[in-house]
Amino acid sequence: MLTVSMTVNGEPVSRDVEDSTLLVEYLREALGLTGTHVGCDTTQCGCCTIHIDGISSKSCTVLAAQVEGRSITTIEGLGKDGQLHPMQEAFRTCHGLQCGFCTPGQIMAGAELVRTWEGPLDEHQVREEMEGNLCRCTGYHNIVKAILSVHAETRGKVDA
Amino acid sequence: MTPFPALDIIKSLKSVGQPLKRKEDERLITGKGRFTDDFSMPGQVWAAMVRSPHPHARIVSIDGSAAMEMDGVLGVFTGADALADGLGQIPHNPVPSTNFDVKLTGRGGTPVYIGEHYLLPADRARYVGEAVAMVVAETRQQAYSAAEAVMVEYEELDWVSESRVACEPGAPKLWDTMDDNVLVDATFGDIEGTDAAFAKAANVVEMTWVIPRVTGVPMEPRAALGSYDAETQRYTLYAGSGGAVRQKHELAKVMGVEPAAVRVLSFDVGGNFGTRNRAYVEFGLVMWASKKLGRPVKFRAERSESFLTDYQGRDLVSKVELALDADGKFLAMRADNLSNVGARCVSLSPLSKGSGLITGSYDIPVATLRSRATYSNTMPTQAYRSSGRPEVCFAIERLIDKAARELGYDRLELRRKNLVSPEQMPYRNAVDSLYDSGEYEKNMDRLLEIGDWAGSAARRADATKRGKLFGLGFANYVESSIGSPKERADIIVHTDKGIEVVIGTQPAGQGHETSFAQVMADMLGVPFDDVTITLGDTDVVTAGGGTHSGRSMRHASTVMALAAQDLVDKATGIAAELLEVPADTISFADGLFGVPGTNRTLGWRELAVAAAEKSPEGLRVRRDNEMHQPVFPNGAGMCEVEIDPETGGIDITRYVTVDDVGRCINPLIVHGQTHGGIAMGVGQALWEGFPIDQGSGQPLAGSFTDYGMPRSDNMPSFICEIAEVHSPTNPFGVKAGGEGGTTPALAIIMSAIEDALLPLGVIEIEMPATPLKIWSAIQTLRAGQNAGENA
Repeated sequence: MLTVSMTVNGEPVSRDVEDSTLLVEYLREALGLTGTHVGCDTTQCGCCTIHIDGISSKSCTVLAAQVEGRSITTIEGLGKDGQLHPMQEAFRTCHGLQCGFCTPGQIMAGAELVRTWEGPLDEHQVREEMEGNLCRCTGYHNIVKAILSVHAETRGKVDA
Repeated sequence: MTPFPALDIIKSLKSVGQPLKRKEDERLITGKGRFTDDFSMPGQVWAAMVRSPHPHARIVSIDGSAAMEMDGVLGVFTGADALADGLGQIPHNPVPSTNFDVKLTGRGGTPVYIGEHYLLPADRARYVGEAVAMVVAETRQQAYSAAEAVMVEYEELDWVSESRVACEPGAPKLWDTMDDNVLVDATFGDIEGTDAAFAKAANVVEMTWVIPRVTGVPMEPRAALGSYDAETQRYTLYAGSGGAVRQKHELAKVMGVEPAAVRVLSFDVGGNFGTRNRAYVEFGLVMWASKKLGRPVKFRAERSESFLTDYQGRDLVSKVELALDADGKFLAMRADNLSNVGARCVSLSPLSKGSGLITGSYDIPVATLRSRATYSNTMPTQAYRSSGRPEVCFAIERLIDKAARELGYDRLELRRKNLVSPEQMPYRNAVDSLYDSGEYEKNMDRLLEIGDWAGSAARRADATKRGKLFGLGFANYVESSIGSPKERADIIVHTDKGIEVVIGTQPAGQGHETSFAQVMADMLGVPFDDVTITLGDTDVVTAGGGTHSGRSMRHASTVMALAAQDLVDKATGIAAELLEVPADTISFADGLFGVPGTNRTLGWRELAVAAAEKSPEGLRVRRDNEMHQPVFPNGAGMCEVEIDPETGGIDITRYVTVDDVGRCINPLIVHGQTHGGIAMGVGQALWEGFPIDQGSGQPLAGSFTDYGMPRSDNMPSFICEIAEVHSPTNPFGVKAGGEGGTTPALAIIMSAIEDALLPLGVIEIEMPATPLKIWSAIQTLRAGQNAGENA
């Protein structure tokens, strides 16, 4: 066992866990934040995507101990002050989700993409950037649309 | 066909037809969904499976003693233990049950032998990955580690995985009680008439198609959490599925208890596509282990376990022949379909559904069909997105492409010449399916317009200039939506929180909480926000057929319409009493009961309060409905692809569909269903497959590394349009929108690839048409061309 401390969604947390505990297990089981999902346990599907110091990471292949002292944001903490994050709102407006299982990971990855992307963003680029997040329901059409709409709103006009 | 009587309650529709945002999204976009693995219980422990590494092997012995010595291990359970405890089999009923399903039988009309499906086999393992023992330990890691320490002695047996080998006499046999592996062999249609039509035909084209096995890959791996309460002697199971009510009844049989002793909870379900519509052994196993150990027991499949042991889809070989007269009119059709059901039979839906639709969208006067199913040493197959229809759509549409090419017809004109016309509706096809309604040629015309078919020549020229092979794909489709015939709705008018509808379908992303609320809001004249839909807990939802076969919207809107009529009648009686007028003087409009000519009105809440004062039941109704009549969604689709001849890489540059879904309740949701359906069909055509290594019997796809998924960077955006030809079979005129995207997609893509390679020659590529296969085909064709030139 070891004690692992970090900041999750703005709150300092500390838990005693097995050394082998994965970050996703720490979030889901130790903290009860079940919005981050496990879809494959091999870093391939993206359902477990969270932010580590603002950067998208797949939490199923990160040990909790590796992020000691870091700042983690999960889907539960993406919105601020009781307001949805624009990416959450866009997924709803554009019908970018169906079963909702991959959705937290898609939203986290999409939010970071728009926040960190420099310059114009087009459909092709969104599709390339998001290929690590699998979805089986939507055919990606409305996910891409949602991400482009947030970029257009927050970062200026979308390139045609 | 008996048209459904018009219900006077359907008046002006306000919510129905609107692209309203979904009610379920708020929880799903904020991480508050309730998926199975999100539930935990105090004292819960974990189960792991010991899985067979062999495709076929006798279980000689299982020794769990070393595993029992390991940290945290609480028990090792085998098939022999399960038999000793009197656990039963999962009571699959694989032959579809409505009056209109094609009736599949064994040879000579004999009953279908479906094999045995105990939670753990005591005799043999029949496919790679079959669970032969279960280990339960304090933690998941301990359970998975200990599972590797269980010593199973196997005696390997001969095995067979390919259906065309498995159905032959002398093939390794799965079930001792049978003479061979063929469990279904039935012939339909007019044999003599078909033979006569073929005899006088000017032309006959034939082809054998293989529609390989794929798997559903819902993003949420299957999971289960079982607990047993010794005091109430009741089991509780959290398990996402296609219908909690079905799971409850089937698992009660397995456990040997009354259904009332089982509660199943299935809230948010992370994708289904058919994969979750049959009970999994792990569901019963965690219930059993919980009773044995006195602790709640949880299981969550690893992704590799999902690949190996989720119920799989397709796996059909179809030989089709088409007879044409000298003018290109279709005269007759013969088909011989062979389905691979895997190691035991959990569903014949794919074979049955396809059997009724072999003639597709076309007026073919006579046809015969032989439908066979065979066992093999593979994971059982089940209905998978549009069960059975993509297979037969592929067969007829690709055969028409071939006929057009070989006989010199334009492929669109040959189709037009033979389409079923609106004037022929309702149309009984040659294998007795009664198409309810549809405007097939209009779908085609509209598709060609919005897809700019005419402009493809310029795009082809442009692509060619860039060194690409340009392909144009097309297919029509018709499919059937049948499904479990029974559905129940309860409507409860609360005194303080609006109107609640309890219903037994089970969404896995289809948005029932939204579209059902739209229907109910209009029926009762209340705002959409006032209606909530309750699903998924069998202590609340007492009956219902689940979600499959495009049945939910049609069945739900029908039973809700009937229930709403009952509720209005009941409320009218209460209003009459309160207003002290005869009931027949009460009018109902916009959610208000009133007496015409006066300003005295009562709303739902006031009537609920009045009803609650009179009896604790308050204002509520329950309605059961049974509806067998199928409907036939239909449409057309086209795509354009560009192939790089040097790599075989393929880009889909355009994908367009027109889908007649009957009345569309929520276009936002219906378009979403179409998009997802297209992706699944395109995935099967281009990347997805579950091949078995013929040397070792090992499946070759066990992770996302080796199973080709549709991804954001290999899929295009789509142009989709909804056509609404209302079905006369149900009050709202609903057909279905969940599967039309998938049904023609395989044919559309493969038709485009064939078209792209046509400048080099004609070659058959078996799905999935991976870049390697396309590149190899190009090399073969070029070699042929060079040989031709040098000769």
